Amino acid sequence: MTSILSLIARRIFVSVAILVIVSALLFCILRRLPVDPAAMSLPPNATLAEIEAKRHEMGLDLPLFRQYLIWLGQVAYGDLGISIHFRRGVAGLITSTLPATIELAVLAMLIAGALGIAGGLFMFHVRGTAREAVADAGSIALLSLPEFLWGLFFILLFGVALELLPFTGRLSSGFERPVITGFLLLDTLLMRRLDMFWDALKHMILPSLALGLAFSPTIMRVLRSSLIDVYQEDYIHQARLRGLSERRILVHHALKNAILPTLSLMGVQFGFLFGGTLLIEVIYSYPGLGNLMVDAVRNADLPIIQAVGLAYCVVVLAINTVVDALYVVLNPKLRVT
Amino acid sequence: MSARPTWLRSGRVLFGLAIVIAIALIALAAPLLAPHEPNEQNLISIFLPPAWANGGDAAFPLGTDSLGRCVLSRLIYGARVAMMVAIVASLGAMLIGAVLAHIAGYFGGWIDWLVGRTVDVWMSFPPVILSLILMVGLGIGLRNVILAIVLVDWTRFCRVLRSEVLVVRRRDYVAAARLVGFSHWRTITREILPSTMPLTITLLSLEMGIAVIVEAILSFVGMSVGANTPAWGQMIADARQYIYDSPWNLVFPILMIFITVLGFNVLGDGLRRALDVRLTETRRA
Repeated sequence: MTSILSLIARRIFVSVAILVIVSALLFCILRRLPVDPAAMSLPPNATLAEIEAKRHEMGLDLPLFRQYLIWLGQVAYGDLGISIHFRRGVAGLITSTLPATIELAVLAMLIAGALGIAGGLFMFHVRGTAREAVADAGSIALLSLPEFLWGLFFILLFGVALELLPFTGRLSSGFERPVITGFLLLDTLLMRRLDMFWDALKHMILPSLALGLAFSPTIMRVLRSSLIDVYQEDYIHQARLRGLSERRILVHHALKNAILPTLSLMGVQFGFLFGGTLLIEVIYSYPGLGNLMVDAVRNADLPIIQAVGLAYCVVVLAINTVVDALYVVLNPKLRVT
Repeated sequence: MSARPTWLRSGRVLFGLAIVIAIALIALAAPLLAPHEPNEQNLISIFLPPAWANGGDAAFPLGTDSLGRCVLSRLIYGARVAMMVAIVASLGAMLIGAVLAHIAGYFGGWIDWLVGRTVDVWMSFPPVILSLILMVGLGIGLRNVILAIVLVDWTRFCRVLRSEVLVVRRRDYVAAARLVGFSHWRTITREILPSTMPLTITLLSLEMGIAVIVEAILSFVGMSVGANTPAWGQMIADARQYIYDSPWNLVFPILMIFITVLGFNVLGDGLRRALDVRLTETRRA
């Protein structure tokens, strides 16, 4: 237990260090942008003197390093600045969009995990048979379809052609969006509004399925190859000599060991998947972090770009910490340090 | 012994190569193949369906888009951006990633620590987000797209190759080379590089597919090449807006991206199987 706690503590320390470096990098990259935040936050008829005064007020005339330290100090107090475009606090904008993105990513990861493990077991099952080539070709084809192509394809098929599922937003018009936790599926359940829950879920099916499908083939292929590795081990032969059924060997002996590399891969994949939500959100007009980011990029809204970039980073680092901890919990070899 | 090397006898490699070469030829010969100028607008004939569908026009084999531009011509010219980015960006990412991986893995110590931590910092960003932010800082344009992809994806090479170098440098023949008096440079290039080359080539092929996707994503959100250069992602973004007017316009660029990426992935998978000595050994056993 203590080893897990010390691991988590160490990971959090490393994560904070990484965040400081990342935020500095972000700050420098975005300052290269040829736009003037001061001029943008004033009405177009502002005089040069007014712009200069605003620049001074916003601290833009200070050296870059000083500007960064001031910004970092504000961030530490939860002040992420004011959006130039929306004229609202960036922190508020992020807390109102982040839950939507997390909800989408988690649902997608569950789908990717389920499909990946099922597909991996299937690919392992058909190894050495004629169907192996088919399964293999199928997994490469899957691998070649990134999430946004799936997303568009589903819109065409289920949205436009079959008109089965909605493909814009999070809720149908007519529903008042509840604000309890920001997690829509959770909120609607808390309110005991099953009709609304179903409506919200219907809106999430296509985007999360698109994301999940795109990230499942990597999981399939790693699970298959680690199962093949595990089956070379002596303890599998031993289990077979003990007369255990193939099913029992697979579930109780092989899968337990083969799942570990798969799990650590899923950690890395979750980071990529979380980035993949960006485009899926744009395609499905899903009001999450990704849409906020793309809008900000189009409006050159520096405070938002900076803060959303950091938010993505925080989520990825948090996921990595959780996966590392899970890895230690599940892998007895790592418990003694 | 066949005259052809092993890797050329693999069906996957040949299939992948065929697709990739075909797309590359289309990109090279774009001005000869395209029936129209890719930016030529025909405002009287917008949203034409493909020639074989009802109301199609043989002059526009795959129909026209919201500005009456020829979809086929734009697809053909779009291959130029895709292939350019795929080849140059992947080679750039490979160069940086592989050089750092070999230096870090071979020398170890603080260099390895520094490279490892840099990769950690990079990996804490979803690649799409990082490339988008870089494009904001760099500004749009083909050169900057390539630069952004190189700056984001070198870690893919570095991470994987570094652990490979760590394994190879412990082999006896590397120690022997040092004992004989080979310089570090010569040991790395003559003894280690030949062992890491197959993996590098495989990763390169996969990275080309990734680069095509990343470019499509960036041009979808309008942060890639400018609006006057046709790119597949742009075509998709345009078609997404008019999805009810012309669903076909969405299908073709999706297919092109899929086929291109499939080509690189099959090629990469085939190379991995053909070049991986360990895999062939276990196969024989």
